[in-house]
Amino acid sequence: MLKNTYRYEQTAALLVVEGYPDLSADQANDSIGILSSWRLQLVAAPELEGTREHLEALMAVVMPYARHQLSGVGRRFDTDQGFVVVSPEGDRHQLELRSSRDGVEPLKLLLDDAELCDLVRVLDRVRLDQRIHLSWQLPADQPLARHELVERIPLRRRFGPPLLGGLALAASALVALVLPLPNTELPQPATETSDVKPDAAVSTEDER
Amino acid sequence: MTEAPSQRGARLSRRGIERLDLLLLTIEALDLNGGEAMLWTSQQMGLKDRFPNRVELWKRRCHNPLRRSTRREPMDPVDAESLICLVCAMAERLYPMLHQLLSAREPEQLTQARWSLLDERLRDLIEERMNPRRGAVIRLLDPLQSEGLQRQMVSTLALVAGPGGIDRLRATLLDPTP
Repeated sequence: MLKNTYRYEQTAALLVVEGYPDLSADQANDSIGILSSWRLQLVAAPELEGTREHLEALMAVVMPYARHQLSGVGRRFDTDQGFVVVSPEGDRHQLELRSSRDGVEPLKLLLDDAELCDLVRVLDRVRLDQRIHLSWQLPADQPLARHELVERIPLRRRFGPPLLGGLALAASALVALVLPLPNTELPQPATETSDVKPDAAVSTEDER
Repeated sequence: MTEAPSQRGARLSRRGIERLDLLLLTIEALDLNGGEAMLWTSQQMGLKDRFPNRVELWKRRCHNPLRRSTRREPMDPVDAESLICLVCAMAERLYPMLHQLLSAREPEQLTQARWSLLDERLRDLIEERMNPRRGAVIRLLDPLQSEGLQRQMVSTLALVAGPGGIDRLRATLLDPTP
């Protein structure tokens, strides 16, 4: 059976994918339906390699991480198996890779923004390559929930205005309590004045 | 090559439209001939019917409420989707430049010179086209805040470059306002 090898290169990242077509599924000879291995070379880092499971784990953490970075949310992502962890580290991104073999220390790589973009682009190209017939189990890109976006706002900015408003309201209430109320004069009930001439009524009746 | 939109698109919020237009403005600041390049790229992508000339492209971008001359009616979702694809295609074209700006391995002095050139061009474009009374425009022109905002724009363009970035960019533009 013919082994196919495809290279995806993007400035600081080179991903090589090897595999075979799944002839039982009528796939073309130049396609990959069974991924046998992959190798990833990042600048100034040791070469990484693994199986389909590891590549899928890498995609499953890097893609949502990039999606969250776009919305300004920097949070840690890892997989259930724990092969790959990605988290923000200052102005960089830490990629932690754990081997499935026992006794191998985890490998930690610090990527700058440009290297993260290169990695995302090579993974995108593998994912969208028409020659690779693999169904990647990746979450679809969705708008983030409001609570996730709120967390990116610093505490001072998030709670500052309502706190200031509350303090202003409390101060106004306190001042209002301390200040004496002005003496208001109650309106006096209307009294009968001497303008009324009782004789006038009598005289009109007499006239009738 | 990034292809023309294959789906109907989604209705962007006011904030999404602002961000989309600012990304296009950043592209123009990165590429001196950006306006023409956008039109040429849109034609390559098969969007000639939607953006037959620069005026039509400009009219779609005028839905941004931060502009001096703004259109009040909501943006057509198909137009929004076309502009999203255009941003991703242009980002793919400009990717080497975006990479240089973001890379920590480039010489510090050279990177600073590149950023100051971008800052100058972007500032000129914002002053020329945006309403200076808007708070968001004031923030974009404020030297203390503009640096972070410009880096965010450049990072966004680099992360959405190419066909793989279309879904990511659309999802980002549909984020709710916190």
